Amino acid sequence: MKKNLPEFGKIVVPKERAVPFGAVTPAPESCQLLFMTGNWRQKRPVIDDKKCTRCLTCYMVCPDACWTFNEEEDRMQWNPSFCKGCQLCTHECPSEALTATPELDFEGGVVRLAKPF
Amino acid sequence: MSNERFLTGCSAAAQAAKMAEVEVICSYPIRPYTAIMMELAKMVANGELDAEFVHGEGEHAQLSVVLGASAAGARAYTGSAGVGVTYAGELYSPVAGGRYPLQMAIADRTLDPPGDFGSEHTDAMTFRDQGWLLGWACSPQEVFDNTLMNYRIGEDHRVMLPQMVCQDGYFISHIPDKVVLPEMSQVKEFLPPYNPPHPLHPERPVSHGPQIRPDQGAPMDAQRAAVFLEVPAVIREATADFNRIFGRKYDPFIEKHKMEDAEIAFFIMGAHSNTCRNTVDELRKKGVKAGMVRLRWVRPWPTHALAEAFAGVKAVASVETSTSYGGAMRGGNLVHELRASLYDLPDKERPLVTSFMAGLGGETIWLHDFEFMAKKLLNMIAEKRTSRYVYWIGFEAEGGKK
Amino acid sequence: MKAFDYRKQNLEPIKTFKSAPREEMYVPGHRTCAGCGPAENYKLVAKAAGRNTIFIGPTGCMYVANSSYLCTPYAVNWIHAQITNGGAVASGIEAAFKVLARKGKYNGAFPNIIVMAGDGGTVDIGLQAASAMMYRGHDVLFICYDNESYANTGIQTSPTTPYGAATTFTPPGKMIPEGKKLFPKDPPQLFIGGHPLLKYVATTTVAHPRDLMNKVRKALNQDGPAFLHMLAPCPKGWVFDESLTNEMARLAVETGMWSLYEWENGEYKYSHIPKNYKPVSEYMKHQGRFKHLKEEHIAKMQAFVDEKIRKIKAAAKPVEAAPVAPHRKK
Repeated sequence: MKKNLPEFGKIVVPKERAVPFGAVTPAPESCQLLFMTGNWRQKRPVIDDKKCTRCLTCYMVCPDACWTFNEEEDRMQWNPSFCKGCQLCTHECPSEALTATPELDFEGGVVRLAKPF
Repeated sequence: MSNERFLTGCSAAAQAAKMAEVEVICSYPIRPYTAIMMELAKMVANGELDAEFVHGEGEHAQLSVVLGASAAGARAYTGSAGVGVTYAGELYSPVAGGRYPLQMAIADRTLDPPGDFGSEHTDAMTFRDQGWLLGWACSPQEVFDNTLMNYRIGEDHRVMLPQMVCQDGYFISHIPDKVVLPEMSQVKEFLPPYNPPHPLHPERPVSHGPQIRPDQGAPMDAQRAAVFLEVPAVIREATADFNRIFGRKYDPFIEKHKMEDAEIAFFIMGAHSNTCRNTVDELRKKGVKAGMVRLRWVRPWPTHALAEAFAGVKAVASVETSTSYGGAMRGGNLVHELRASLYDLPDKERPLVTSFMAGLGGETIWLHDFEFMAKKLLNMIAEKRTSRYVYWIGFEAEGGKK
Repeated sequence: MKAFDYRKQNLEPIKTFKSAPREEMYVPGHRTCAGCGPAENYKLVAKAAGRNTIFIGPTGCMYVANSSYLCTPYAVNWIHAQITNGGAVASGIEAAFKVLARKGKYNGAFPNIIVMAGDGGTVDIGLQAASAMMYRGHDVLFICYDNESYANTGIQTSPTTPYGAATTFTPPGKMIPEGKKLFPKDPPQLFIGGHPLLKYVATTTVAHPRDLMNKVRKALNQDGPAFLHMLAPCPKGWVFDESLTNEMARLAVETGMWSLYEWENGEYKYSHIPKNYKPVSEYMKHQGRFKHLKEEHIAKMQAFVDEKIRKIKAAAKPVEAAPVAPHRKK
């Protein structure tokens, strides 16, 4: 008799659409590669190393942590993959070492990319 | 070896929570479940139970606190009744979808308006579709047993779902009955420690609950539904284990009473099943082939078990102690899923089904009320049809209640 | 009974940008707006708190924008909470760590447990949970990142939206020329003094990073709850160029729209009181949300701020004996 009752079937979720257990995802380590925001910007901050006093204001101010201090090379390092071009750093730099420069001026500027990251 | 006591349903729940060694308890007072928390408070205060007893600021907070505790790896326990259950409403889906297997003890209470302390199942039934395990006890012993079984089933890695362990307010929560308490060694044999896969541990950071991608809304639902396909097997295993270790005789999904050759049968859940069982025995003495099926689990709903139990029965009365205003039968909410479960039986085996609104507002359902229902069922068999979707005990023109 | 040692850390003050921990716990890769004040905030808080941290993120910009598309920028533990219950979820996590530590199931240093709630999640829909958490004395830091609106849902008014601000629920019009008629709640003042176990409350802004990070560390060092109110300007909601986020925060302090202080064990300590306050118009003229205001509205705002300043100056001075009122002549 049981065999005549309908079944519940089986639910098959394709792997590429599956949600992880309990919607729990791994924590990123140094950056979230699944959300590269570098292709947002229209201008990038260009640094004049001679004016830079290594005060670390740009590093402290960036909401996207795109400025880091490279200790070995003693210079500020900029992250092109994530910088959104907000120019907070440019505005806050006390020694005017940063200039907002259009992406179009750069061969590899994000606005020139055929495909975003 | 065993420890026999006379306990109310509330006390039984508290004793079971203590033996389950719950670690974070969040309280908030509301009749008639408050006694569970009052007893646990005493246990914590005098060192019988090492748990954090958090005074929640409301039921919504209770569910939130235990969600956090469960995410951090602690076995968490809370509870409520009536409008407290509805106030916590926002949290049921996040807790279930987040797979936090905490437990909520519910001693039913009619929903406002206005304040009514009587028991109705509507409070917990309202949230039956949110993805929790949900079931009812019919005695303080079963409240105790269900508390332990639900942690075992809910925390199983194949399940990882929160559980609502329900009991009728007053009838079970406040009337003492015999409860056999086990030894801790039996409990430890039955219930392993809580061991979630991704607790919030500083050395193993994770993100609980980022926004999903737009194409993942449907998979999220599908995956949550898929878990319920696995739950019945776990329930069967755990019940068998429980019976073996504690010496009980639970059927995993439904209690069948004198169903072998029943021609009429009652479908019922909770406290009033005790009166119903007695009525079945009385009817049998009078030569009526009556039977009863008592539902233990509302979620997962035992579709096939019910179809099998009622196959060949001629007429079934669904006894409803909850409301579904404007629903298909214009009555309660058990009958919809009962009829759905029986719909696909072969014509000859499919019973006639009607429903009876009884025990609402915490009223007693009398033996003669069940006899009234039995008479209606026998009429249906004679007339070979269901003439009514629902009867309201005490509010029918012809009576049915003293 | 000897108190159980939960192994709380003690975080040292950060003296310079150079000496601040270089590791980011709020990493690049989130969908916050360019120049987002709350994101800047989050980065500084996470940097100050370090690795032994669990963030609770009630729904809001810092949930939705940070965790879009199944990924987050938190290198430390993080859990979503409803906008209603940041304080409650945090309470549960804290309680769990306490009992797990006592039972020997958790053996590490007691984690920093930090709620990062927006203004709505702190003093509007989240107020009950925040207050209860502080009343119960959980060892949790409750941070309100204040962008003065429900920003995530498209800029609607919240209880901290300033008088006269245009939002989509307080649009200026013929009948209501000022847009927002109501003056805001004052979050620290809601919590100060009424919660016996709350001993430390402080305010700060994104434009004062050392101040912010040190207040975070001081708050985390408290043995019990703490509350931090952080001004986090929102370029989109307040309508100003995204490079001026810190500028707006500085102007807020310089005009008296925002005050920088600590309240510790019953005493106020002002981190900075401008010698001469700039007029509020200096702050408001840069922000599109105020551009519809007339002289009379700005004057009302100035009066409100003047009263705040007066109270600050009174509280900051040592308290002298109250003058004795003369006897009433019958």
